[in-house]
Amino acid sequence: MSLIRLAWAFFRIGAMNDLQYRVNFFVQVFQSGLALATGLVGLSLVFDHTSTLGGWTRYELLAVMGVHILMGGLIRTAIQPNMERLMADVQEGTLDYALTKPADSQTLVSVREVRIWQSVDIVMGSIILIFAVAQIQTGVGIGQALAFASALLLGALMIYCFWLMLTTGAFWVIRMENIIELFQGVYQAGRWPVGVYPDWLRTGLTFLVPVAFAVTVPAEAVTSRLTPNTLLGAALLAALLMALTRFVWRRGLRRYSGASA
Amino acid sequence: MPEREPGLKAAIRSLVRRKTREIKAVDRISFDVAPGEVVGFLGPNGAGKTTTLKMLSGLLYPTSGQVRVLGHIPSRRERGFLQQITLVMGNRNQLSWDLPALDSFELNRAVYRIPPVDFRRTRDELIDLLDLTDLVRKPVRNLSLGERMKTEFAGALLHRPRVLFLDEPTIGLDVTMQRRLRAFVAEYNRRTGATVLLTSHYMADVVALCKRVIVIHHGHMLYDGDLSGLSDQFAAYKTIGVTLEDASASLDAYGEVVGREDGKVMLRVPKTESSRVAARLLNDLTVNDLTIEDPPIEDVIERVFAQEAPKEDAS
Amino acid sequence: MLDLYRGSMRLSILENFQYRVANYFYMIGMIAEPVIYLVVWSTVARAQGGSVGGYTPGEFAAYYIVWTLVRNMNIVLTPYAWEFRIQRGRLSGELMRPVHPAHFDLAFFVGWKFVVIIMWLPIAALLILFFQPTLDPTPGGAIGFFIALWGGFLVRFFLLWALGLITFWTTRVSALFELYFTVELLFSGRLVPLSLMPGWAQQLAGWLPFKWAFGFPIETALGRLTSQEIVTGLGMQAVWTLAGLAIVSVVWRAAIRRFSAVGN
Repeated sequence: MSLIRLAWAFFRIGAMNDLQYRVNFFVQVFQSGLALATGLVGLSLVFDHTSTLGGWTRYELLAVMGVHILMGGLIRTAIQPNMERLMADVQEGTLDYALTKPADSQTLVSVREVRIWQSVDIVMGSIILIFAVAQIQTGVGIGQALAFASALLLGALMIYCFWLMLTTGAFWVIRMENIIELFQGVYQAGRWPVGVYPDWLRTGLTFLVPVAFAVTVPAEAVTSRLTPNTLLGAALLAALLMALTRFVWRRGLRRYSGASA
Repeated sequence: MPEREPGLKAAIRSLVRRKTREIKAVDRISFDVAPGEVVGFLGPNGAGKTTTLKMLSGLLYPTSGQVRVLGHIPSRRERGFLQQITLVMGNRNQLSWDLPALDSFELNRAVYRIPPVDFRRTRDELIDLLDLTDLVRKPVRNLSLGERMKTEFAGALLHRPRVLFLDEPTIGLDVTMQRRLRAFVAEYNRRTGATVLLTSHYMADVVALCKRVIVIHHGHMLYDGDLSGLSDQFAAYKTIGVTLEDASASLDAYGEVVGREDGKVMLRVPKTESSRVAARLLNDLTVNDLTIEDPPIEDVIERVFAQEAPKEDAS
Repeated sequence: MLDLYRGSMRLSILENFQYRVANYFYMIGMIAEPVIYLVVWSTVARAQGGSVGGYTPGEFAAYYIVWTLVRNMNIVLTPYAWEFRIQRGRLSGELMRPVHPAHFDLAFFVGWKFVVIIMWLPIAALLILFFQPTLDPTPGGAIGFFIALWGGFLVRFFLLWALGLITFWTTRVSALFELYFTVELLFSGRLVPLSLMPGWAQQLAGWLPFKWAFGFPIETALGRLTSQEIVTGLGMQAVWTLAGLAIVSVVWRAAIRRFSAVGN
């Protein structure tokens, strides 16, 4: 589809340019290393004092951490850069350029930017995940792998929807920079399986900020916890959110262009 | 738009209430533009020129009235419409900051779906026309303001649009670059027959490029027509510069003295009177030199802008 | 000088009031961190029969709720700000003023803290409602807490102000800053109450400045410290504040020399 070709054009050029700055690679590796070390310290501190947490064993929790890092990398590579640029565009009036282009505006503002070095986390998270899963079971069936991949994709879509809807809020309330910090704070909750949290928080992390679907559900897929119902629910919710996001985006544009609502 | 008085007490009060004021940005403006025309929208800041341009490019919905460009309703933002227009805003960049311009051009090619052969031809033409050969490989952030503006123009024209919306394109640039860009726009219009709608508060932009001028002030259209007709409507006077043998002579009887410079006295007289006053001067006094000039266009514009906003109820 | 502080603080209060939405977003995003720690450790405590490391779930709740106030209070000028300041080119102008720039920053942040405290109260009320902490402060503890709160702010303010000055020598500073923050995270009582760390870590933490800006004020509020410990702690805060001041004055002079030599 032409939208995919468009996304690919932006990705190719953005990535190629980022790749020139090799120093950033080492900086990213260092930072990811620090974050990983902190996570491992946290995990080992917990397991100094207990042997399971909410029914999850040590290596299962490590798998959750792997997915958390992986998904975080995905968000910071492809989703966050676009949302930051959208926010900046709304503030500085340069969104007009995106709106006078003959391409679907939502797609355009969602694929323009990429930060290729953040994908270090995608790699690192995957390594952690594979290591952890190897400690839990001897092999990963094709069904499990497919379930994991789908859960991951659906989770990413939901996070995208969440982000875009929130950023579209900039059309109503211009200053939205702290959204990023807000999200990053809440996303940290995904380090642990959402079952650990009290009910009200778990609900929030499932339906308000879809961290559960972004991290816990894919982790469930590789720790033999995922039920078909959950995966189906994820698919339905993702479809619903995509539709809602589209609606919110168009409403936001109408507001931006002064159309009487 | 929200308003707030300064001070701590007011800051706390504004936690509870927000005052807003409705502003008519554009009121009863109506015009037609033919293909290939270069039209300048002239007016001071906040006059409504940018609002008008945004309505024409589909960025704003008019609260009442009709807008048609190239047979389309701009606010519908149809692909066919957007494919034929381009928007360039002075001091607002659309080229990616960190990428070389060439890469941004590539992205535009993908967005506008320009066939590769056409793209290369147009691109090279524009690079040539704007002297960009050395500049397009550098990251845009490393270019000077003027160089950046030139590359912005190139990027905006790759898809050979039929209508150009230029919003204050020369703002903030030095005089040489302003002239350069004006020349480019004129040349582009000549070569391609593209329609150009340009807003500016620089007189020089309009004088250099536009045969037709629409003056907007306080959201109202004050004038639509030739530049030369502007002075007839708003500044119907001429300036007579006379150098006398007797430099101290009083000329108040002949007209309004508006300046004295090196023995030359500038007299402002109504247009219809100018030849008669000149004849009297030559007759009555010993005149060494006499010139009759139209008012400088800047003065005309100043007079136009100095007009009060028409009284309306604050809503 | 007093006028300068009063004026700057007033301006800061006004400005931060105006950006209350942004402030709230920031504060709400920030409580995610302690809430996560709280929940995880409460779960561990319940699994281990009611308490772990000397903390019951209720006490963890108290720890991490006080954490939110302490954390808000010890947020200071980020060392990354210097990169901004040097690049912006405004530094030359600011250096012309006869007052050390740290005063302006200090006044600005102090003013901001008042707004922060006011905005924190409703958040704290909600957290108390949801997590039901057990809090048993002693009057000495309460007074000590109030002083320690500001003491922690001062310790962190000067140390990070000095740290940021490294930007004058190199712009590749993120690795160093992130390393500092990671060590701080682990040894300050921010990640977990220090009593939950292995023994060697607790000893090390006593020598580092981090715990005096974080864990110490929290523990003062919880009533877990004896009066002697509180006084000693406040003393350590004073020591580290003075050390910070000393480092700032020395490094600042070197930084200006460097700046004037290299230009902007």
